[in-house]
Amino acid sequence: MKIIIKTIQLSLIVLLSSCATIISGSRQTVGITSEPSSAKVYINEIEIGKTPIEKKLKRNQEYQLIVKLDGYKSYETKLVKKFNAWYIGNVLIGGTIGLIIDPITGAMFKLKPEEIDGNLKSRTTLKTKSGNIYVNISMEIDPTWNKVGQLEKSE
Amino acid sequence: MQLIMRKLEKHIHMRKMNKILILITVIGITSCSPKISSNFTNPQSKLSINEKVALLDIEHILPKNIVKVGELRFQDSGFTTDCSFNSLMNQARNEARINGANIVKVIDKKKPNLWSTCYRLKIELYKYTGDVSSLPQYKLKLD
Repeated sequence: MKIIIKTIQLSLIVLLSSCATIISGSRQTVGITSEPSSAKVYINEIEIGKTPIEKKLKRNQEYQLIVKLDGYKSYETKLVKKFNAWYIGNVLIGGTIGLIIDPITGAMFKLKPEEIDGNLKSRTTLKTKSGNIYVNISMEIDPTWNKVGQLEKSE
Repeated sequence: MQLIMRKLEKHIHMRKMNKILILITVIGITSCSPKISSNFTNPQSKLSINEKVALLDIEHILPKNIVKVGELRFQDSGFTTDCSFNSLMNQARNEARINGANIVKVIDKKKPNLWSTCYRLKIELYKYTGDVSSLPQYKLKLD
């Protein structure tokens, strides 16, 4: 009986020795949607596509996010790395290997949009699903643009 | 008596282990960024995000009529994990904008090797009055 218990304990330590890496992985999916859609999305000044879009980003880096759409003000925020609570699993179970591996893979972090005084930037909503984040941006009309007309579908 | 002594030893051992785990956690959290040394000899007015900054690698040639703003050095702190070439160049670009430089020029580049998993860079920052987007330059990628 003692051997079985010890085997289970050892297995748990080995399995959970890199808690955050196993549970979260080294990359995180970041979904970006906007209202209206089809806005150009730039991460670190690199155009990655138009909204709605999803991108898998490394957890151990911080990113600058810019969303641009003609007729609307540019939206700008930072994706910052926050502490991933799964990392505590290493401390609780005593997985010393995990304490080293999780920072190397970046799994000890999770990406979140920057907050000022505990609040997200205005016109931003955030959803978290299965450890991934989905950012929705309501674009603000640029008053310097004047509407001069509208194209309509011909019949 | 022996039982009490054993319990006391176990308690002390547990406290030591806890301290070591907390220490490793603190090191892990705080030491993942590269060590950046900077020397700005001639800082200029800050650039906006809309103003382009050219990233010049070793092989790219500096244009004429430039003013040196300062230098940056990225080193491995020993626990650095966020130290890919793209990440360091992005950090250098941010530093350049803050100090009014629009050219980031790599003058020395050490690639990851047996001794370090990080890129280690020596960079010079310049202010150029011409159009930086016309210069042959490194195109940043997402890792």
